[in-house]
Amino acid sequence: MDKKQILVVDDEPNVLVTYRLILQQQGFAVTAAISSEEARRCLDSVTIDLLLCDLSLEKQESGFDVIEYARKKNAKVPAVLLTGYATQDANDWAEQRGIPVLFKPIDIQQLLETINKLIKNEGGSSAANQAK
Amino acid sequence: MATAQMSVRSGTKTTTERRRDAALRLLTAERSDEILPVLLEEIVALGYPRALITAVDYDSAELRPTVSLNCSKSFQQRFRTSIYALDHPLVQSLQTQKPKQIPSLPRASNPVLCYPVLYRHKAPCWEAERLNRPGCLAILNNSNAKLNLGDQVCKVCDMRSYAAVVVVELNRNASAAQTANLSGLIEMANRHMARLFKTEHYYNRMSDMEVTIAQMETVMESMSDPVILTDNQHRVIMQNKAAERFFMLPEEVSEGRVRAVELNNMLFSAALSSMAVSGSDGTRDLALVDAVEAEEVLFEAVSAPSFTRDGRRTGMVTVLRDVTELRRADEELRQNYEKLTSAEEVVRQDRDRLNLIIENVGDPIVVCDKDSKIVLLDPLAQELLGTGRDAARSPVRLRNQAKLDAYITAFTYSFSDRESAPLRLINPTSSQEVEFDAHSGKIYDERGQVAYTVTVLRDLTAVRRVEQMKMERRMLEMEKFAAAGRLAGTIAHEVNNPLEAIKNCIYLLANSVQEEAQPVYTILKTETERVARIVRQMLGLYRNTEQVGTFDVNSVAEDTLLLFARQLERAGVIVEKDLQDTIPPSVGSADQLRQVFSNLVVNARDSMNQGGTLFIRTKLLNNGVHEMVRILIGDTGCGIPKQMVETMFEPFVTTKGERGTGLGLWIVKGIIENHGGKLRVRSKVGQGTVFKIDIPVVR
Repeated sequence: MDKKQILVVDDEPNVLVTYRLILQQQGFAVTAAISSEEARRCLDSVTIDLLLCDLSLEKQESGFDVIEYARKKNAKVPAVLLTGYATQDANDWAEQRGIPVLFKPIDIQQLLETINKLIKNEGGSSAANQAK
Repeated sequence: MATAQMSVRSGTKTTTERRRDAALRLLTAERSDEILPVLLEEIVALGYPRALITAVDYDSAELRPTVSLNCSKSFQQRFRTSIYALDHPLVQSLQTQKPKQIPSLPRASNPVLCYPVLYRHKAPCWEAERLNRPGCLAILNNSNAKLNLGDQVCKVCDMRSYAAVVVVELNRNASAAQTANLSGLIEMANRHMARLFKTEHYYNRMSDMEVTIAQMETVMESMSDPVILTDNQHRVIMQNKAAERFFMLPEEVSEGRVRAVELNNMLFSAALSSMAVSGSDGTRDLALVDAVEAEEVLFEAVSAPSFTRDGRRTGMVTVLRDVTELRRADEELRQNYEKLTSAEEVVRQDRDRLNLIIENVGDPIVVCDKDSKIVLLDPLAQELLGTGRDAARSPVRLRNQAKLDAYITAFTYSFSDRESAPLRLINPTSSQEVEFDAHSGKIYDERGQVAYTVTVLRDLTAVRRVEQMKMERRMLEMEKFAAAGRLAGTIAHEVNNPLEAIKNCIYLLANSVQEEAQPVYTILKTETERVARIVRQMLGLYRNTEQVGTFDVNSVAEDTLLLFARQLERAGVIVEKDLQDTIPPSVGSADQLRQVFSNLVVNARDSMNQGGTLFIRTKLLNNGVHEMVRILIGDTGCGIPKQMVETMFEPFVTTKGERGTGLGLWIVKGIIENHGGKLRVRSKVGQGTVFKIDIPVVR
């Protein structure tokens, strides 16, 4: 069976590395991007099964842009929004699109459960599963 | 009757014999009217040709012949005359009481003797004698004074005298001895007649008296009030039927009746005695027992002494008037009057109390009639609105009156019984606007129309000042809380990313730690997790402060319970929820409230190591001014020690050691106060803890 392809986007290098390592440990094929620009490049070149994206990226870029870009490529691609702090607008935005929001510090077990669920239901949009 | 035979026989007797016979005949007469015919017979028997009696008829005031012997009609008519014909020899004879001889009448050859007879005596009549009164007619007529023919009624015994003239035709050759003999006979007859007349008079009086007595008895019996005649020893002489009911025993009697009658007699006798002793023969109340009805009857006894004509006291006449009903009515009247007086007293006291209350309310009070015209002001209201004339001089007061009038008119015509509204009036002394809370109520008349309105003006200056201070303090608190939240958020945010990396590293290293380094790894892992929790908590507070809307307390509670359902079940905690389903929404952040519920539910769970009961209740409270939702979250856990209760809402205070952040209750308190609510706690060590939260609702 092919490994599922996950794209992780975070502007903190150490965080990005650890996510990649954890996901690889779980048997996923992981592509890591440190910026939105890099993330777009990856999306152009690789077909992904899931997008894991930090909300606040470098400069004025945000996770929304990356997710929008990914959805343009594949409208049904599942995504998870990671954030230390989300405004009501961000919450609403994510909810509308069926994208779960996980707050940092993230409980790894919860992260893995969320990912597995989304990949299993790939192609369909799951109900919002917001965590605190 | 005189007969020829008699006159023949008499002619054979001596004068003395004849006189004795005549006396005896006269004596045998039983009635006065028998005397005169006998006399005429005796006169004729003496040898006189004819004689007649002409008597005074008081009705026609004339002398009329009544009895005659041997007299023709025409002869008799000669001796008829008015008693006022004073020169008539008959009248003169009567008036002078002396016999008069008429020498020769026309058409008659013999002279005639007129001899007056009338009621007269040397001794007074019995009545005059007994009463020792002068004026007895017998005596008066016996005196030599000139007789008054028109007034022949005795002043003492009411007896009407007879007066008549015996007319005898004398023989032409009659001797003086014969005439004297005649006079003696007439005089004797008169004496007899006077005596019989007197006896008859007394007999008639007795008959009259019997009639009078019978009449009096009828009167007495016909009186419905008891009437009793008593003698001087207060013994009952006579009583009517009404009195017998009380004072006389009938033939068949009960013992009770006997006692009642005895008692009545005793009471009556005592009353009479006391009246006699006190000398007041007047009126007195007397309670007697009605033996038939067996009830007490109240009488008013009116007694008067009875006297004989000569002034001797013979006893008492007592009339008893039943005044039971009268007294009862009297008593009722008195009681009613007393009731009225006491009711009046109560009303007066009420009024005084009310006045005292009004004077001491400390707020201006205005009473208006149905046309919104002021009828009563307390001193404070007078100051504000003025009274009559001085109001007209103060424009401020006029303006106040106009404002109040507008408000009261609107209230009077509104459908509500009471109303409260803000009213801004100007204080005439300080000329500053004062905010009042006008509380008004209506007083209705018996037809349900508004009769009066009462308005109490509550000066809100002080209340507003306190409210302002409270508001300022809350703002400050909120600002502090928000600032603390922002600071915590910033720190947490900066810490967050490095922490995320550390946490991930620890996770990655889990399988590659050597046996001997395992305890160190465990410390590293748990301490990092603790930091993560603190950061999460802080960020949670900061994260949602801007998220404000309306939310349903019950669904937040349900959500929270659902979220923790499995955890609670594992901890052996039974959940009892009682959520009132008519709670209106509250304003604020649902997320923040969810945090409140979460923190409290987690605390409750942690306090119940051995399991227990968690209860959550919601209820709508209404204190008449505000509506509040009351939320109770309680547990049957270990409770909070007393010394902790004071500090438990401060940050970084925890009982959970490493597991706790010490921020939970601080955040709970902050959130509740941010929502304008109140948080209270009641706890007993070993029994449990109850958090009581009140949050205002918005309609």
